[in-house]
Amino acid sequence: MGEFIDGPLWTFSVSVFAIGVIWRIIAIVKAGVRTDLSQPRGSSGAGAFRAVFSRFIPERTVTQRGRLQFVAGYMFHLGLFALLIFAKPHVDFIAERITGFDWPAMPHWAFIVAAEFAFAGIIPLWLHRLLNPVTRMLSDLDDHIGTVLVFVVMLTGCLALAQSFEPLRLLHLFLAELLLIYFPFSKLMHAFTFVLSRGYTGATMGRKGVNA
Amino acid sequence: MARMKFYCDPERCIECNGCVTACKNENENENENENENEVPWGVNRRRVVTIKDGEPGERSLSVACMHCSDAPCATVCPVDCFYTTADGVVLHDKDICIGCGYCFYACPFGAPQFPKDGAFATRGKMDKCTFCAGGPEVDHSAEEHRKYGSNRLAEGKLPLCAEMCSTKALLAGDADVISDVYRKRIINRGASVLARGVSFQDASFRSPRDVSGKSSAKE
Amino acid sequence: MKQSTRTTGFVAGIAWLIGVWLISLLVSLPAAVAEEPNAATKAPSVQLMNPAAELWRDVRQRTVPSSGNTQVKGVDSGVLINTNGDRWRHFRMNQLIPIGGYVLGGALLALLLFYMIRGRVPVEGGLSDRKLLRYSNYERTIHWFIAGVFIFLGLSGLILLFGRPLLIPLIGKEAFSVLASASKEGHNLMGPVFLISLILIFVRFVRRNIYQKGDLTWLLRGGGVIGKKHVPSNFFNMGEKTMFWLLVFVGGTIIVSGFVLVSPSLGHPREWMELAHVGHAIGAVLMITVIFGHIYIGTVGMEGAIEGMKTGYCDLNWAKEHHDLWASQAEKNSEALPNDEVARLRGDFDRLPRDVSIEEAGK
Repeated sequence: MGEFIDGPLWTFSVSVFAIGVIWRIIAIVKAGVRTDLSQPRGSSGAGAFRAVFSRFIPERTVTQRGRLQFVAGYMFHLGLFALLIFAKPHVDFIAERITGFDWPAMPHWAFIVAAEFAFAGIIPLWLHRLLNPVTRMLSDLDDHIGTVLVFVVMLTGCLALAQSFEPLRLLHLFLAELLLIYFPFSKLMHAFTFVLSRGYTGATMGRKGVNA
Repeated sequence: MARMKFYCDPERCIECNGCVTACKNENENENENENENEVPWGVNRRRVVTIKDGEPGERSLSVACMHCSDAPCATVCPVDCFYTTADGVVLHDKDICIGCGYCFYACPFGAPQFPKDGAFATRGKMDKCTFCAGGPEVDHSAEEHRKYGSNRLAEGKLPLCAEMCSTKALLAGDADVISDVYRKRIINRGASVLARGVSFQDASFRSPRDVSGKSSAKE
Repeated sequence: MKQSTRTTGFVAGIAWLIGVWLISLLVSLPAAVAEEPNAATKAPSVQLMNPAAELWRDVRQRTVPSSGNTQVKGVDSGVLINTNGDRWRHFRMNQLIPIGGYVLGGALLALLLFYMIRGRVPVEGGLSDRKLLRYSNYERTIHWFIAGVFIFLGLSGLILLFGRPLLIPLIGKEAFSVLASASKEGHNLMGPVFLISLILIFVRFVRRNIYQKGDLTWLLRGGGVIGKKHVPSNFFNMGEKTMFWLLVFVGGTIIVSGFVLVSPSLGHPREWMELAHVGHAIGAVLMITVIFGHIYIGTVGMEGAIEGMKTGYCDLNWAKEHHDLWASQAEKNSEALPNDEVARLRGDFDRLPRDVSIEEAGK
């Protein structure tokens, strides 16, 4: 069981993840943009580039009316990505299994702070999704599966923090593999596609000469 | 069955820290990865404490796990990882230890040590003196050596700290034997006090009676 | 002749021996007596204690807490004998685990007994056709946030506390060790999240939890448990307010002591950690007992009590019976909404009357 999780299932899940993500991105890119015959009033490329970054800053109405989602959302995403990329066990694991080289990892205290942020973010966000009538109506099964998977991967990761009990590590790895397999077929793809959607809007607006 | 004990004689200990060094040296191997060493960085299983340092009556004692007959660490351990060997040595299983630190709170001698790693770090697995008796793994296996250090007891040897002690202040061995050794020392000390006819106070400072040394000062 | 010389020789020998013994006694006695004052005059003018006895008195910290010097860096490494360790062991093994177990088990048993005697407290007037908004979405979110974190921390803490007597016999040391390690790491990591949730709860609910005039009456009448009549109260009743302040203060104690326990590398002395453990454990057992009661009322103990936290709206009749002062005021301000309206606001189309279409409801 442990060997299966550590070996074949890992290879399979990473393959599914990589192929799936590339396939979906290519599919979106290949769909292309509608040809616009009008005279361009600005650069679509600059507009796309600007939009990708300017959309990180939310509109004022969002910061006011959706303060919980705004604050908790940033806490969760920043914490999660810090953990994913700069946690020492992850750096070691990725260096050993994928890249072959490593990079400086976070010190232990930063690791803990990032984990606190991520947990303090995801739990209220998940509850908000379940409790708020509007978000509950908007959410479908995919949203809930994605949230639950990310949450249990984070939770088992924190349970395995002692790094000395093989069953806990395998549980974390197994759930992470499930997440990787599920990833390309779900809304979790927004981790990559946000660039395309923002870019599309930004390019359209940029071409029209609208600074938006 | 033998009951292994340490005894440190404060009248003999000269605070050379030889026992600390011997312990660290014996229970260390040359691993590249520092985390692989059985005595982790910053962990000393044995230490020498000097009471009244620099004052009259200064005494030093070498202390580590005393392998209690009714060990408080074993009582409070939430995962029950301690066990007592047939020789009366208190050992623990690092595969079961979760590093909660309760044994350190309860231990009278401050023997349990934890490798630590910056602020907010939780404790690693506990490490303590094993009476040079290894751990629960097969005697002299690589695994045992990696986790617990040397197993001299299985070779019929006593802990290196006591074996290295230059003044034989630190005694290790069967409780009956070392208490006999110590009893004889006490009797000899008492006899020397009687024979010299001085108080214990003076005897402990080795003040001579009716013996005058040479002095350059003219009387 | 031969016989007599032999006898006299024997007697003379005995006499000689006795004589030697007597003389030696006569010689040695005065010498011993004479030595006494001699030794006394030679003693130093300042009488020092026996250094060996003094050493062990210092080591055991009989008179004053003492610490020696050592080359080894570490927490309390200069202390030879940890005098509080055994007191702490006694507290944990002989008091905390058995008494804590009885308290928690007893609380569950008492709730079961109470339920069998009293049963589910109904809304006496029956459920009405109108509802009041009791908690906003944000309030419900932070409530279930702290609730989830509390349950996780409580479970993992109880596993660590009672696992050795209860779980090791069932699942064995190896399996329990994995569970205990997971509990410990999860407990340590979720602790600060509990702090965050407690701050959010405090800021949001503190104003409604300040004690008011009617609270003493509520307390004197046992919150309506004694007798059949309901006691009027405001948005929160005396019991809920007390639970809130217990959560704030006991929860605060648990957080502070937990921080001491979780950060051994800051190098605070062992005594702090022992005391922190005592405070942490007593506070946690107390808080879990209180939360048992809270969960009991919310789930099986009372009809309509959980509606406010589940949906955000509570039944008007329930509110009038349990929080009369608040409910009457809200009704006067015509804040009570018909059930259909609430279902529409919540998007519960299943509960809407048949003739209302989704498009209409979505307006």
